[in-house]
Amino acid sequence: MGIVVEGKGLTKRFGDGEAGVLAVDSVDFAIGEGELVMLMGDSGCGKTTLISLLGCILTPNEGELWIDGEQINHPDQDLSVVRREKIGFVFQLFHLLPYLTALENVIVAMDLAGKKSDLAENRAKELLIQVGLEDRLEHRPAQLSGGEKQRVSFARALANNPNIVFADEPTANLDSRQSENLMSLVRELRQEHSTTIAIVTHHEGLRKDADRIVQMKDGRILSE
Amino acid sequence: MNNIFLKDMAYRRTRVVLTAIGITVLILLILFLGGIMNGMRIQATQYVKSTGADIWISAEGSGGAFIGFSMLIEEHMGQLNAARGLEPHSASPLVFAQARPIIRGKPSKAIVVGFRPGKLGGPTHVLEGRMFEKSEFEDYSPEYVPPLQVVVDEKMGLEIGERIVIGGKELKVVGKVKSLMFVLDTPLLFMEIRTAQDVLLGSYPRVNMMIAKSSERVSPEQVAKQFEYSPLKIEVRTLQQTIDDIIDYYVVSPMRAVTFLRVMLWLAAGILVGMITYVTTLEKTQEIGVLKAIGASNMYVMQLILKQVVLISIIGVLCGLILSFIFAAVAPIFVSIHLLESIIVAVISFFVCCFSGYLAARKAVAVDPMLAFRGEI
Ligand SMILES: Nc1ncnc2c1ncn2[C@@H]1O[C@H](COP(=O)(O)OP(=O)(O)O)[C@@H](O)[C@H]1O
Ligand SMILES: [Mg+2]
Repeated sequence: MGIVVEGKGLTKRFGDGEAGVLAVDSVDFAIGEGELVMLMGDSGCGKTTLISLLGCILTPNEGELWIDGEQINHPDQDLSVVRREKIGFVFQLFHLLPYLTALENVIVAMDLAGKKSDLAENRAKELLIQVGLEDRLEHRPAQLSGGEKQRVSFARALANNPNIVFADEPTANLDSRQSENLMSLVRELRQEHSTTIAIVTHHEGLRKDADRIVQMKDGRILSE
Repeated sequence: MNNIFLKDMAYRRTRVVLTAIGITVLILLILFLGGIMNGMRIQATQYVKSTGADIWISAEGSGGAFIGFSMLIEEHMGQLNAARGLEPHSASPLVFAQARPIIRGKPSKAIVVGFRPGKLGGPTHVLEGRMFEKSEFEDYSPEYVPPLQVVVDEKMGLEIGERIVIGGKELKVVGKVKSLMFVLDTPLLFMEIRTAQDVLLGSYPRVNMMIAKSSERVSPEQVAKQFEYSPLKIEVRTLQQTIDDIIDYYVVSPMRAVTFLRVMLWLAAGILVGMITYVTTLEKTQEIGVLKAIGASNMYVMQLILKQVVLISIIGVLCGLILSFIFAAVAPIFVSIHLLESIIVAVISFFVCCFSGYLAARKAVAVDPMLAFRGEI
């Protein structure tokens, strides 16, 4: 089983001196192909910062990062290329574009990766069917429930066949029934498509499905 | 999906429409003001050009015919007609003066043109009615009673036989001529030079200027030069110099503020587009952060915004262009919008809008994709 993402000595500080925060502190962390990793820890312990570092959204102050076997050269590389080709993101607050339908929101991810529009549309439909939204294709985000929006987010994250999907507290804004439904989707994606997923969540129901549960505290990884 | 920017615009249509209207109004004003100045330029020179004279003579120190105060004695005529380089007997005296005629009981504005019938300076034919007859006296004669008759501009709405009052004297409208308004739609009232002297100068036998034609073998510049050291107290200018003087005196100088205003309007159009783009971008900061987080390149984000800026600018500028022609047609003053010039102005305006939109859009490109992980910002 190959390693999809690997960070060594990743460190991220926000601010300098007294007021500075050491959000992620020399973390070594690797995620293997097809793994479902659960990232847990108190609020403010650095979970979001860590997945942003691993997902090439943030540049670390120190440390090295490999994605899909290639080392990331932070200052000189256009990280947007890595993000659109190798990584999928699901955010706590969905962040779909309000002026686009569910279908178009998925197509956008492929559009910005330069995929032809007819191909993109077919794939977007497939993905939305896969996440159980076949009858919501033409709905705007405002016409969708939280759970449905998060399913669209997952479809968007998967659009460019990423090596890994990072999900940051995807159920935090959902009620318990919707959370349960979404977790079923995560299980399905993992079982049927062996998608590699790193998910920050407090959802206890996912524990038994996770390959690994990683606990964080004060910017460090406590235990696995 | 190359129409994502259109969907964004449709979603924010109120703002898009308002911005386009803002640009439309500004471009309309820029073009319309240009049209007014153009119209003034045409009106300022159309009478002068219509006379066929290429030598314009005013009193020494007047700064040119139509410019400063100029009074000449008619005795110069003899010497002028004897001068070399002028077409024989082409020189003719002219009274050209602002007047306040009372028309149908109301004071209005007009310019009295007193000319010698059959000579340069008057209209060649009437559209309606008749011209007054040639004076019996070539030179001033106290016994002569000039006819109290006037030939008016067709656009004044006067009828043949109607009377107007100038300088307390009643004049009868005998003919109408093709419109040849002076600056700011000031109509010309043509009358015999003696009549003009009678109503405006209390029969004082002076004229404001004299005009003549250079003979075919000599250029008007040479003729003008020949008078430089003449003992007569006169200034001699060519048609071109006279036109330049008039445009500078009646159009360019008074309209300097308008020219300045047009530049300001350009600036305003640019600022408008820049500001709206800036505010819209600020509002969309998180959206842009999300797009960047899911892998949009800076180019992609820039294009998304610039496409909107370009489209809004095109719509605004085109509407302004079209409306300016419509407004020019229905305006109560003479406005002349030149198509090519308008297109050039419109294209410049378009680039001003796009450039300021671009400046504002740079802000969007700098958005931090980390915003995607935040809640309210
Ligand atoms: N942009 C930032 N500027 C300053 N401090 C930040 C910023 N982002 C996060 N932090 C700080 O870093 C720490 C870790 O934050 P975060 O990774 O969001 O934690 P978690 O996701 O585990 O709740 C917190 O103390 C937070 O206040
Ligand atoms: Mg967090």
